[in-house]
Amino acid sequence: MLNEPRINKAIKMVAKLSIDKGSQVFSKLIKTGARIDMENAFLGDLTTVTEDINRQNTSVVGAIINLVGDANFKFLFYVQIEDSMILADLMLKREVGTTKEFDIYASSAVQEVGNILASAISGVFASDFSINLKPTPPVVINDFVGSLFQEFLLSSVGEKNEILIIESCFHIVRNNIHAHMFLLPLGDSEKVLSYIANTM
Amino acid sequence: MSKRIVIVDDAPIIRSMLRDILEQGGYEVIAECNNGFEAVETYRELNPDLLTMDIVMPEKDGLEALHDILAIDGNAKIVMVTAVDQRVSLMKAIRAGAVDYIIKPFESERVLSAVRTALGVE
Repeated sequence: MLNEPRINKAIKMVAKLSIDKGSQVFSKLIKTGARIDMENAFLGDLTTVTEDINRQNTSVVGAIINLVGDANFKFLFYVQIEDSMILADLMLKREVGTTKEFDIYASSAVQEVGNILASAISGVFASDFSINLKPTPPVVINDFVGSLFQEFLLSSVGEKNEILIIESCFHIVRNNIHAHMFLLPLGDSEKVLSYIANTM
Repeated sequence: MSKRIVIVDDAPIIRSMLRDILEQGGYEVIAECNNGFEAVETYRELNPDLLTMDIVMPEKDGLEALHDILAIDGNAKIVMVTAVDQRVSLMKAIRAGAVDYIIKPFESERVLSAVRTALGVE
């Protein structure tokens, strides 16, 4: 059902609007020239995506956030460890490279950027489509990407076969940070996406 | 004597950013708390002049902590800190007795202005 073209289009529109909004807030947060570009957004088959991710052997730090309310989604944002340290330096207004090792601030930078992006998504649902969603506090995990993804899927396996994948790049002065985001519709959220598709 | 402030936020990086702003503004940050439970206990122990309180936190959120602290001390000065797009929670907090609010991401001047207003020094 999610792969119906009109719903697919609605999901991509929500992703695009959310990234635009997140980009504005992120720029203000680090008080420097920054923008987030959405490089790709597509619905992927959950089994295939999980297999792809499990083949990677990368250490990442990610934030998992539930969006609960008129619909239910699970959101995952992650970056590589080195990029989390750049985010921390930028947020604390330090020279990039000051943070040499992963620490609570690098972890917390991902927590806060995840928060910003989840709030941007819930804001788009609320302001553009009158659908109320509330983000829960982020759970931050530092692990191999496969383990992080398993944790993300925990308690929601079997609910849906499709997942929205958003690949984006944070362009910040001379630093480009590649971020990965996943939005997993849960429960009756298909009805909400169908409603959005009908209002477009 | 400088006013004593407690920062309540589950994100260490936000606590650090707020601490820098407040200390540069001449305030004394006497404690940092990670959630609403710690905030209520710290309020009982230290009786600060003001708290900055994040809304979305694990275990006990900022709204619950606000209610509990105001039940202990109806004159407690609490400034809510929240992400943009959480206006519904923010309005609940203001109706419940929060003195002012700061929207994340915040500017230094806005933080100091909210604190001055809450402390009644303007």
